[in-house]
Amino acid sequence: MMAKRTMTLNLTDAEMRVLDELSIRKDITKTAVLRQALRLYQTIDARVEKGEKLLFENEATKEKAELMLL
Amino acid sequence: MTVDVSPIYLLDAATGESVEAELRDAIEQAQLDDWQTRWQPALLAVLQNLARKGVPMSQWPQSWHWNWAEKTARVRGLLAFQGFCVVAQGETQGLAQVDLTKSSREPGQVGKPLVYLDYLEVAPWNRPELGAAPRLRGVGSALITAAVTLSVEEGFKGRLGLHSLPQADAFYRKIGMTDLGQDSTYQSLRYFEMTVEQARAFLEEE
Repeated sequence: MMAKRTMTLNLTDAEMRVLDELSIRKDITKTAVLRQALRLYQTIDARVEKGEKLLFENEATKEKAELMLL
Repeated sequence: MTVDVSPIYLLDAATGESVEAELRDAIEQAQLDDWQTRWQPALLAVLQNLARKGVPMSQWPQSWHWNWAEKTARVRGLLAFQGFCVVAQGETQGLAQVDLTKSSREPGQVGKPLVYLDYLEVAPWNRPELGAAPRLRGVGSALITAAVTLSVEEGFKGRLGLHSLPQADAFYRKIGMTDLGQDSTYQSLRYFEMTVEQARAFLEEE
């Protein structure tokens, strides 16, 4: 297993609440939530940098919406 | 990058004796060189033989067109992807690549993160379905074990998902994964998932 480093994170109450909720809903630790967020953010950023768009599609209506990343 | 190397044992199919091997948590240039200079010629010989015998392409090994150099280049530097390989007797015996951004579909664990096994391929000389007697056994299982273990280490509790090539469907059923049927959004391949309980049972057996 890869060696890991420890850091202190300063979050607002609202951010901590979201982290708690995601941790429970996804059945993973808070650290795992943040690691997932980092992986997804890096993956999306790399694809957007290559000129791709991030789209969400409603399965029922087939309506597509683009998520703007600034 | 530091590569984690774990000792594992495979089985020599001819003698039944165990063979020392390494499970490495990366696919490096040495593996791509082996794929290019050893796997490809062996696979080409198999395909030429199948073509000579008039075997239709639909029955050829379904991963024959996989290009590991391209697969690894596409995800280089991305945290969401990880490679594994098995090395024994001085050459690469198996390769796998996983994606950590996918979520479960199985009703009991839907939406929860899992390790998705994007690609798994065993060296042509270890694959009994290619006609000749395999040299080493246990390479595929070692790579599946690595993916399940990663799922546990990442806090995903062993959850694993994959789309199976038809020739491997029976193997994934045999190791206890749930068959969620054909996926019309993914080349109509069957989608299999390993639940937390199935992962526990699988790791206990390994």
